[in-house]
Amino acid sequence: MSVTIAVQLVVNGILLGGVYALAAFGLSLIFGVSGVLNLAHGEFLMGGGLLVWLAWDLTGLNPFLLTAMIAPLAFGAGYLFEKGLIRPLAQRKEHVRLASAVLVTLGAALMMEDIADFLSLNTQYEKSVDLFLPTIVLDKVYLPSLKLVILGLVLALIAGLFLFLKRTYLGLAVQAVTQNRRGALLNGVNTVRINAIAFGIGTVLAAVAGGFEVVDTYVAPNIGLPLTLKYLCIIVMGGLGSFAGVALGGIIIGLGEAIVGFFQPAWGQTVAFLLLVAILLIRPKGLFGR
Amino acid sequence: MKRAHALLLLLVVLLLAIPAAPIESRTYVLQVLTFMFVSVVLAQSYDIVGGQMGYVNLGHITFFAVGAYAFGILFNLNMGLLASLALGTAVVVVFAALISYPFFRLRGAYFSLAAFGLVKLMEQLTINLGWLTGGSNGLKVTPGNRVLAMYYASLGVVAAVVVASWLIERSRLGLALKTIREDEEVAEDFGVPTFRVKAQALILSAVFPAIIGGLYTWYINFIDPNQVYGLSVALTPVAMAMLGGSGVLVGPVLGAVFLYLMQELIYTQTAHLHGAMMGLVIVLVGLFMPGGLVRLGPVARVLRRLGLTVEEA
Repeated sequence: MSVTIAVQLVVNGILLGGVYALAAFGLSLIFGVSGVLNLAHGEFLMGGGLLVWLAWDLTGLNPFLLTAMIAPLAFGAGYLFEKGLIRPLAQRKEHVRLASAVLVTLGAALMMEDIADFLSLNTQYEKSVDLFLPTIVLDKVYLPSLKLVILGLVLALIAGLFLFLKRTYLGLAVQAVTQNRRGALLNGVNTVRINAIAFGIGTVLAAVAGGFEVVDTYVAPNIGLPLTLKYLCIIVMGGLGSFAGVALGGIIIGLGEAIVGFFQPAWGQTVAFLLLVAILLIRPKGLFGR
Repeated sequence: MKRAHALLLLLVVLLLAIPAAPIESRTYVLQVLTFMFVSVVLAQSYDIVGGQMGYVNLGHITFFAVGAYAFGILFNLNMGLLASLALGTAVVVVFAALISYPFFRLRGAYFSLAAFGLVKLMEQLTINLGWLTGGSNGLKVTPGNRVLAMYYASLGVVAAVVVASWLIERSRLGLALKTIREDEEVAEDFGVPTFRVKAQALILSAVFPAIIGGLYTWYINFIDPNQVYGLSVALTPVAMAMLGGSGVLVGPVLGAVFLYLMQELIYTQTAHLHGAMMGLVIVLVGLFMPGGLVRLGPVARVLRRLGLTVEEA
């Protein structure tokens, strides 16, 4: 294997892992705050992607601009999702709550997938936005500038999320609830509201990632649950609730898929799950778990 | 208890007699009931780990799928029905024993997720190991008309899994499982060998899906990865057990019967949006029935009168 190919694979892996990490951050935020594994997370990504596609098809505006425009919509959707479906489960015993949350979010995921499928009858199944940007060639390594733009936006969003979590009152409240719900409550944090806000922000991240996906590859009604599983792998691998872990998990999975997919295309999709099982064997609470 | 016995006897006689009943479209009825029995076995066996022990095992379907594939491969080697079933089940038991060590190092949400990941992993392995499993083209076994035989066989497995759950619940093992569900640390401090107990429970809950998986392959002659590992297939038993009432003996049975009939109704009566309607049913169960059907007031009263205890969720 030549050095060029190795560098190319690493570049591809990081570009792939970036978008994974973005959506996985959203899922991790939701889990950290509310303790709920949101199996409908990938559906919000799918929904965001389809909305961007629809708006682009109608108006022809820049898809990145459209992605920014659907963000408030996604926030509202996530907020209401929490309010209607997750909040009623809060008082249950722990293992009952885990199972109920699985059922509710799974049922919602099935519904969203089927409705999206129904609405896209008579149109092409896999929707993508054509946006051509030139590819930069740097010493035989191909750098698709579209992916670079996306990676830049992902990094900017992650930086923004960090600033939000570290610098604003709301962000600190989110962190406080993640660390200790009762302690946060005793210090005057409105934990119920924080739950809904975390769902809103997490959903925005998923929908934005969907906007990137529809530009970069494609979005179809059936991509939701498999993606949710991949994100779950990423956040469990990194350690539930750890942001550094999510970033590392996203990169590891992106690299793994790029490298294995290059040599054995059929095994590319297996990597995430094999890595997850392998890492959990060594560290049962994930790479950064406490 | 006597009334419960009489009712049970009546039910058994009725189910045994159905194939002889002079009804139209007998084959269809038998088929619907057979698939219902498959669902009951999956839901009830899930509940040994999911309900009695409180570990939400989202990967339960892997036992069914591995059993189905192991049976198909062995049966195609001309092993004969019983030998293939026995060996296929043995394969699944070994599989369950092997995964119990890594997976039970995890708890709560971690366990559920890793188990869910296992479904996908096994599906990918099945697709990629084409020389063994036929890959995404699926696996065929020699066909035959097995409607009647399968009806009785699956009914037998239903009986076996219900009796086994009942015995487990009353045994020392059942007590250990319940202790683990309520508080694993305390259980360990009081001398419950948690690791061994959890492995035993997982193996016991794997045996029945393995058998029914083998029979399933034998019955429908053809399986492919999506059919046995598909996400909705994988998660329906969990939903059924929850719907009926996890942790109560007849809960998963009721849930499986109810949800299966619901599914059959939705699929035969409406043209579109089957998945959305199933999703809605699952959402409503999760939202409004944490304890499941068996803990609803009127149902619980009837069950108590029949001598079946129903604890609070």
